[in-house]
Amino acid sequence: MTLLEFVEGPFFYFSAAVFIVAALWRLVGIIRIGRKKDIAPARGSAVTGFFKGNLRHFFPRGLFAQRTWMHLLGGYGFHLGLFALLLFAAPHIAFAERLFGIELWPAMPRWAFIIAAEISFAGLIVLWVRRFSDPVMRLISDWDDHVGSWLTFLVMLSGCLALQEAHDSLRILHMGLVNIWLIYFPFSRLMHSFTFFLSRGATGAVYGRKGMNP
Amino acid sequence: MKNFRRFIRTAVLLTGVLMLSGLLLADAAQAQSSVRPPGQAAPLEEDSGPSNALGGASDADIWRQIRGAEDMGGPDLPAAPGRNVPLYEDLMRELQGGIAGGTSSTAANSRLIQMLGEDWRHIRRDYILPYAGWVLAGVLGLLVVFRLIRGKIRIEAGRSGKYIPRFSMAHRIAHWYLAASFIIMAITGLIILLGRPLLAPYIGKDATAIMASASLQGHNLFGPVFILALLIMIFRFMKGNFFQWADLKWILKGGGLLGGHASSNHYNFGEKTWYWIVVIVGLIMSATGMLLLFPWVTDVLAWHQISTVLHAGGAILLIAIALGHAYVGSIGMEGSIDSMLRGEVDENWAKEHHDLWYEEVTGKKVDHKTGAIAQANPEAAE
Repeated sequence: MTLLEFVEGPFFYFSAAVFIVAALWRLVGIIRIGRKKDIAPARGSAVTGFFKGNLRHFFPRGLFAQRTWMHLLGGYGFHLGLFALLLFAAPHIAFAERLFGIELWPAMPRWAFIIAAEISFAGLIVLWVRRFSDPVMRLISDWDDHVGSWLTFLVMLSGCLALQEAHDSLRILHMGLVNIWLIYFPFSRLMHSFTFFLSRGATGAVYGRKGMNP
Repeated sequence: MKNFRRFIRTAVLLTGVLMLSGLLLADAAQAQSSVRPPGQAAPLEEDSGPSNALGGASDADIWRQIRGAEDMGGPDLPAAPGRNVPLYEDLMRELQGGIAGGTSSTAANSRLIQMLGEDWRHIRRDYILPYAGWVLAGVLGLLVVFRLIRGKIRIEAGRSGKYIPRFSMAHRIAHWYLAASFIIMAITGLIILLGRPLLAPYIGKDATAIMASASLQGHNLFGPVFILALLIMIFRFMKGNFFQWADLKWILKGGGLLGGHASSNHYNFGEKTWYWIVVIVGLIMSATGMLLLFPWVTDVLAWHQISTVLHAGGAILLIAIALGHAYVGSIGMEGSIDSMLRGEVDENWAKEHHDLWYEEVTGKKVDHKTGAIAQANPEAAE
């Protein structure tokens, strides 16, 4: 078994298993915590509030938008670019098709890949710079935030460095980092990818039940 | 600051571990003879191509022989049958006269040899490659000597504990955004430029090829990010970076390095010069970089050749000055990094290094000979 076969085979399967099991464990654990019964009469729908809370927080309110426009642009740029790369990059689709043995959706063209990567990198750098430049962000950030940012950056960077697809070593480096990232993910704040809708929804539900806009 | 230092240590450690792991992986994979054609390349059959039409010599070997490779320090090549070595000078003399010849290249304008290309090759091989590394090593050496002689530039009056705002969040993000993309561009660019002469003898040609391939992709990818960051920085930092009369006095006093106090506004002459070098050289780098990234924009080879020379020269200049900038802005001068990390600086630092700006933002008077608050007006000094 070559090193490439190892990182794309057993190591990847192990990392993916850790990712799925641990992420599910945390999500189920959060949901099972539940909340104290609210004995006050309901003035609105908690379910509607759950969805409103999620949707409304995609856009900042006017007052905050002026102060956070850079954070907003960086955040959307990074996340949308990352999802585009993850789901529509040709090497990713080829890898997933080989893994699952089924034909998936068409890949985005190379120029779109480059643009998505540019936007994503630009956004990630802005977010990380803000993390250590902003006095409040600096105080509430710990090593987990920085490790998560750096790991994500290195995964993206190694993927782009291997873009020529001419050297197995670069592919091994990328896949090795992906595997580490998958193992680290469920035990870190990277889990916000899955938990953000729960926290927004919980806040929205509380407000919704009180008949207020979340 | 404590958290930040801890984070820097963690980041450096993590990066080091990951890079080491990467190199180990790369080395192991290399042992499996991993080099193969690009993914999109059409597969070639084993026996495709001309069947040994050139004998034991390749095209490149023959051209090296025409140029007299052995005389120019090239490899000792096997003689190609039927060719006189060296006939380079005679050939060049003939070609200078403008002999037209057939060629399949539209870019070459039907000339057998584009003579400027020969000059470009010499500039690149005889000047840029040998001197680029020495310039950077020289700058690092100068910084070490400066540190040994001058030591860390301290705040003479000590830290006051009072801070005044110097750079907004937008300024800091613009600065670090450019710095981050510049570091990536610089490292990948240096590997592309100097990997072959500097790295290959130590890590081997195969590993150098892998690093060059990775660097090329990274350099091309981050180029537009760098241009965006540069444009943001240009506009964000333009205010206050035009030259003023105080800068002349600052120059005459050698920026305080020759002794005495050199007054300055929000930016001193050195910072303003650095800003305009970044603007001018950065824009040239961007333009030449885009031309090299999209070479089909023009078929005039001279533009491409000039672009590579300007791009490499500009890069060395920017990296060399950036090393000094990073040193003075971090470990070289007490209190200076606060301005870009916290966005605010210690009052005593401001008085000693940017006294005119300090007067402007606080309304207090400073003794311009020492950088201390003027004692003539004690109320203002409080």
